Amino acid sequence: MATHREASFLTTGKFIDPTPAPEEAAHPEVGATSAPLKSAAFFIGAYCKDYNEDFMLCKEENNDPAHCLKEGRKVTRCAMDLITKLRENCEKEWEAHYKCLEKHNQHYYACRKPERTFNECVFSKLKLEKVIPDAAGTPIHLREKTIYN
Amino acid sequence: MSTIPQQELPRPGGFPEIRYKRYIPKVGPSGLVLFSGITLMCTFGLYRTGQGNLERRELEREKVWSRIHLIPLLQAEADRDTYRREVAAKQREAEIMKNHKGWKAGESVYNSDRYAPKPYVVLP
Repeated sequence: MATHREASFLTTGKFIDPTPAPEEAAHPEVGATSAPLKSAAFFIGAYCKDYNEDFMLCKEENNDPAHCLKEGRKVTRCAMDLITKLRENCEKEWEAHYKCLEKHNQHYYACRKPERTFNECVFSKLKLEKVIPDAAGTPIHLREKTIYN
Repeated sequence: MSTIPQQELPRPGGFPEIRYKRYIPKVGPSGLVLFSGITLMCTFGLYRTGQGNLERRELEREKVWSRIHLIPLLQAEADRDTYRREVAAKQREAEIMKNHKGWKAGESVYNSDRYAPKPYVVLP
């Protein structure tokens, strides 16, 4: 056990660049951790489809970070917009689901019950649906009997 | 005159039967039942394994798509940070090399317009 230094060299502060962002790259960030994002991933994908695809096409055009700043801002703004809406409408259900994900190693299959209530809430309030592309048979999140649960 | 030689003969009434067979009582189900039962159990187990494999494939697809949906968001955030660091590094370089004529700060070492990520990390 390393007791005399940090576990990661990234947390030592050496790699922090304190220079403030230039105007064209300054934008507030989403600030959500992995579990809430994973919980809302399919809704982000559905709600921000146009912005996301636009951004990815831009990145394919040119991989330079300076090239797609505008599209990137739109993507972030859209996700922040959705997060505000989710918190206004389904905060309790969302929290239940992402806390369950945190507890179960972020496996979706371990948290189907809170996921169902969350999905129903989002569908009734925001008209967003979780769709897994190219799913074989009944989509896995809608199956009643599963082997892994 | 000839005498009939006396030979060894079985005792009167004959010898009792020699017990050479195994006399084991029949216990438990027959071989056929055991064999077919084990076959059934194995078939069921293999079937469940197959169903589980198919289900795992779907779970994997779900996970992959959740990440695909998040890529633009995370990439946009990372891009802004990279851009900020690159601009800062370029400014520092220009400040250090301001007395050298003909030095272009942040010039690529490659003779190409294509973006190449910096192969080193700049510590400010």
